[in-house]
Amino acid sequence: MEMTQLALVIDLNVCVGCHACVTSCKEWNTSGEAGALTDVRPYDHDPTGMFFNRVQTFEVGEYPDTHTVHFPKSCLHCEDPPCVPVCPTGASFKRPEDGLVLVDYDKCIGCKYCAWACPYGVRELDEKRKVMGKCTLCVDRINNDALPEVERKPACVLACPTNARLFGDIHDPESIVSKAIRENGGYQLMPEWGTQPANHYLPRRKTELRIHPDELERSDNPLKVDGLLPKPSVKDPSLDDVTSW
Amino acid sequence: MAAQGVLGNDRDGDGEYRIPFIIVCDAFQSEMTAFADLVLPDTTYLERHDVMSMLDRPISEFEGPCDAVRVPVVPPKGECRPFQEVLIELGSRLKLPAFVKPDGTRKYRDYPDFIVNFETEPGSGIGYLMGWRGKGGEKAMRGEPNPRQWEMYAQNNCVFEYQLPRSYQYMRNWNRGYHEWASRTRLRRNFDPLIIQIYSEVLQKFRLAAQGKGDSRRRPPPALAKRVETYFDPLPFYYAPLELQVTDTARYPLAAITQRPMAMYHSWDSQNAWLRQIHSHNYLFVNPRLAESQGIADGDWIWVESMHGKVRCMCRYSEAVEPGTVWTWNAIGKARGAWRLAPDANESREGFLLNHLISDELPASPAGHAVHDSGRISNSDPVTGQAGWYDVRVRIYKAGADEPHHTSPQFEEMPAVPGTHRVRRLWQAFVAGTGEWK
Repeated sequence: MEMTQLALVIDLNVCVGCHACVTSCKEWNTSGEAGALTDVRPYDHDPTGMFFNRVQTFEVGEYPDTHTVHFPKSCLHCEDPPCVPVCPTGASFKRPEDGLVLVDYDKCIGCKYCAWACPYGVRELDEKRKVMGKCTLCVDRINNDALPEVERKPACVLACPTNARLFGDIHDPESIVSKAIRENGGYQLMPEWGTQPANHYLPRRKTELRIHPDELERSDNPLKVDGLLPKPSVKDPSLDDVTSW
Repeated sequence: MAAQGVLGNDRDGDGEYRIPFIIVCDAFQSEMTAFADLVLPDTTYLERHDVMSMLDRPISEFEGPCDAVRVPVVPPKGECRPFQEVLIELGSRLKLPAFVKPDGTRKYRDYPDFIVNFETEPGSGIGYLMGWRGKGGEKAMRGEPNPRQWEMYAQNNCVFEYQLPRSYQYMRNWNRGYHEWASRTRLRRNFDPLIIQIYSEVLQKFRLAAQGKGDSRRRPPPALAKRVETYFDPLPFYYAPLELQVTDTARYPLAAITQRPMAMYHSWDSQNAWLRQIHSHNYLFVNPRLAESQGIADGDWIWVESMHGKVRCMCRYSEAVEPGTVWTWNAIGKARGAWRLAPDANESREGFLLNHLISDELPASPAGHAVHDSGRISNSDPVTGQAGWYDVRVRIYKAGADEPHHTSPQFEEMPAVPGTHRVRRLWQAFVAGTGEWK
């Protein structure tokens, strides 16, 4: 039987770079099991700090055929994670039951070997606490009975205003993430590294809208009686009288 | 003209106009509070009732009109009061007609009461919120005030959405079903289709008035008659933007525009420690071909100059802008010390605003120029009044090698408001629920 592998699918076709996923992630995690995500020099020159999820914006192509791509990136929960075997204390581990790659803070010594091993650059050292931090796929939300079922998802998935983030089990062919990958050409980052990242990205593509003729004909008023009802006088108050739009 | 002299006639010792009393109501120490005679602390949206009303900014979906509310989720802190409550209180105490009953007593208890019971005219059934109207909340769009309207919105996730039949949704300007519905619900006054006018009767009325025709009580001020007659042409015609007509475009050939960063709305966001790590300074985005033609490398310090002023800033190559235009983010650049940031914060040392290049008034035109008469004219569209700030034209050039690596202009550090202090921490972390910064 296939073990579960939870993952995110990020749709680059609709990400607008608003950073809602970035801030909602930090908001949830700084107050949760992952511990306070530290900021350095918060109100001074060159502020910096810990984020589990970041969005890089870059340009592709030459004017006028340019794309501006907003690229959110967080731990991809690789199926063969290079950050796990290099950890000298065993703090970095992959959970067999759901495929999450996590950090045990009690064991982590902040040596950063895992950050060197990760080709995606998604593991950060918390300078204050001296432990490695990264996306946990909101492990403290997804099985949390204290949350309504519909909210048992990563904070970033709930926050995205364009529904650019999907969450589910990529080993289940009928899950929303498996379908999205299959139907939209979902791809992995740098597959040549052999890490088998679980997170996938959906490429840019054209969107079509189809309108069917039977949607243009109103079926609930076949005798068109509505139009025969007495009309209000044009002198009756209306929004036209008070709005400027 | 005597009536015009009553308003705005306050002058100071030098004879300059002045605003006699400024009240600023804000949740943050925004830049405007430095000019206020009275500061009233506002709540944030989390601490008060709000409406996103059809009377103001319809939030609607394609499928039909929507409106929404906010209800308080945390109590206000200190002496903060929602600004709407303050306005209703003021209006009631001043006994302004909208806020008193015919017998002179106060009409509205508070803002939620005002929203429920206000009608555009007595008995019109049109109020701020479209949903759950009627005695029991059974009507939509228009109906009698419903005392439990706020409760019903809150139960529906604070939003009301009206779904139009599909056949009403398309080509609405001449969709008969839509217009029947819109006039019955009193969104519109009448049933006529909305035809785009190529020859505009409305503009022609203005033009005739400027020519001394039509209703003699309606005339533009004489100094503006020529301007009104020229631009209120009922048929569309092309003319170069007004500022462009008086700009030396050989010297200032480039267009310059700004836009908001996605993650920031206004300048007050720079007090937010997390947001500062996303946007702490800005660059002027320049097409690489244009930059190379001027010997400017990616990241170089450059000057951007218009006929009104100049700023020094850093250049960032971008293939996503055409070679005749440069642009930057607004909202990020700050004056030194603003928002209680350190004096060497990136927002003031490396951030900048394009505002210094833009004038709110058009430069005087040469005598005899058809653009406008002499005298001060707002830098805005002559018909709509829309600000013409993006008509500005600029040039860019590399800054000298000996120039300091910070933006210009720089300002004296803003003094601290008495009773406040700048937060100085090396480390900071926020944990929700504790009410503490660690």
